Amino acid sequence: MIELLMDRYTYVLMFVLLGLGIYMVIASENLVKKLIGVSLFQTAIFLFFISMAYIDVEGASAPIVPHHGEPGEVMVASPLPQVIVLTAIVVGIALTAVGLALIIRIYAEYGTLREDTLREVRADE
Amino acid sequence: MSLFAYSLVIFILATAVATVLFRDVLSVIIVFGAYSLGMAILYTFLLAPDVAMTEAAIGAGVTTLLLLLTIARTTRPTTDALRERIHVPAVVVVGAFVLLLCTAVLPDMYPVGSTSTPVWSNPDVTQHYITETYEQTGVENAVTSVLAAYRGFDTFGEAVVVFAAGVSTLLVLKREVFA
Repeated sequence: MIELLMDRYTYVLMFVLLGLGIYMVIASENLVKKLIGVSLFQTAIFLFFISMAYIDVEGASAPIVPHHGEPGEVMVASPLPQVIVLTAIVVGIALTAVGLALIIRIYAEYGTLREDTLREVRADE
Repeated sequence: MSLFAYSLVIFILATAVATVLFRDVLSVIIVFGAYSLGMAILYTFLLAPDVAMTEAAIGAGVTTLLLLLTIARTTRPTTDALRERIHVPAVVVVGAFVLLLCTAVLPDMYPVGSTSTPVWSNPDVTQHYITETYEQTGVENAVTSVLAAYRGFDTFGEAVVVFAAGVSTLLVLKREVFA
């Protein structure tokens, strides 16, 4: 059991971070903290992709291939999942920016960032 | 070497738990920045320096800046309590979710760095990009060549998404109006 966890430590970390992200989205009353929870959830998924691309063999390196080396199989981490994650990080920050802009507007309109107060204010209208 | 990785995992877990538990939003933002930095170091360890640089610049840098600007323009609730109240039903649901993942999914995962993952069990695809990258694009860094050449349209689409996000942010903040 311990060996299973030690062998797959990045996946264990990913599962726990997924849980923490979802918990923050469910349980936090503050809208800014909810959005931070979404970001936390995203980074867990990124970690999953990066772990899949990782290769742990003798002489493995980052995906940079010197062109004057001898031809043949080069053992480097796979570039394909890494590029997906690069794209996803940038899209993630765009998502966060729009979310924060909406939060600023909600505050300007209702004067609160707490979910329960917001619900009361909207019920009174 | 792997001792370093394990201590890094513990650091990331500690900062993530602190992010969840702190009550003060400013503390949460700062701890989340530390979490992003730890994540960037872990990416470097997992042989993804390009992703690590992006995560350090965008995750730890720009996200923290945007969050700080947001609480500067809205409010930061003052409080005496150090940590958030524990929301018990959410803990039960999330705990069951994580436990299910760890018991049912984890044994079927591949050990970290194993060559039997889907990425490596069919090495022709990955090896094609690795061996042909300099020949076809003139770039030694395979990540750059995939990002800018092989998946150029994908990156173009990403630029469109960022543009759309910028426009909608300005519209929401009423810096721009529809004529």
